[in-house]
Amino acid sequence: MDEIGKISVWATDIGGLHLVFNRTTITMTLWVMGILILFALLASRNKGLIPNPLQVVAELFVGIFWGLTRDALEEDMAKTYFPLICTLFMFLLLCNWIGVVPFMDEPTKDLNTTLGLGLMGFFIAHYAGIRTKGLKKYVSEYFQPIFFMMPLNVIGELAKVVSISFRLFGNIMGGSIIILVVSHLVYNLLLPPFLYAFFGLFVGTVQAFVFTMLTLVYISVQVK
Amino acid sequence: MEMTGAELIRGLALLGAGICMGIGAIGPGVGEGYAAGKACEAIGRKPEEAGLLTRTMLVGQAVSESTGIYSLVVALLLMFVVK
Repeated sequence: MDEIGKISVWATDIGGLHLVFNRTTITMTLWVMGILILFALLASRNKGLIPNPLQVVAELFVGIFWGLTRDALEEDMAKTYFPLICTLFMFLLLCNWIGVVPFMDEPTKDLNTTLGLGLMGFFIAHYAGIRTKGLKKYVSEYFQPIFFMMPLNVIGELAKVVSISFRLFGNIMGGSIIILVVSHLVYNLLLPPFLYAFFGLFVGTVQAFVFTMLTLVYISVQVK
Repeated sequence: MEMTGAELIRGLALLGAGICMGIGAIGPGVGEGYAAGKACEAIGRKPEEAGLLTRTMLVGQAVSESTGIYSLVVALLLMFVVK
């Protein structure tokens, strides 16, 4: 119970800067990447008309997200941004689910992961907007209803980044703290599997889906 | 009973955490319940769309939950970072 506020880190001092790396987050992210690469390799061997089980799962992901992406964006933009959306969902899903395994923590428990992914989505959306509409039209949209709305529009864009990353971070971190505290209170009897099922599996899936859909919606809003 | 300044701050931080999460939980509860009610009405009107309606309801509820999550983050900060 007293290890809630502690984060294990590697800290070095290089060239006058004090660098701190979160050891758990980096290790868990490497695990997730390794498992995803293994899944991709196993799913794409012996491709045939009768698929092996992993190929069915991969086709399920690709089919569902291709449908969602094509509904939100036009055909060629959808082809460009579809790998991002599908990878984002698969990465976040596995990140949130890996916390159910004992001795493993979710990488999304760290604000660095979620904020990094949120900023990535923000820059991709605005780059797509500038490339599609041109710089003049993109800047003029901030002054849109009336010209002194510009600060509010800018803050609205920044608030999207904050909200999307804090939503994922808060759900996963808060869920894991609730699991820890409640399991401690019931002396680890009977209740923890149900807590892990709800907070780890269900909430993890919903939040990964919401993050992905919101990134898709932000990209599609910018290119319209 | 003497109370040092540090203990006072710690006590008030815990009180603030409780009030923050307590009041912050009202909004999302009301909002998500309303969305679920609307989804139930819509499924009652058109049962074959139940899958799409449930998915849309879950996404809307997850977005509406975000202010509750912000208050959870503030409460956790007050509990575990203010010494």
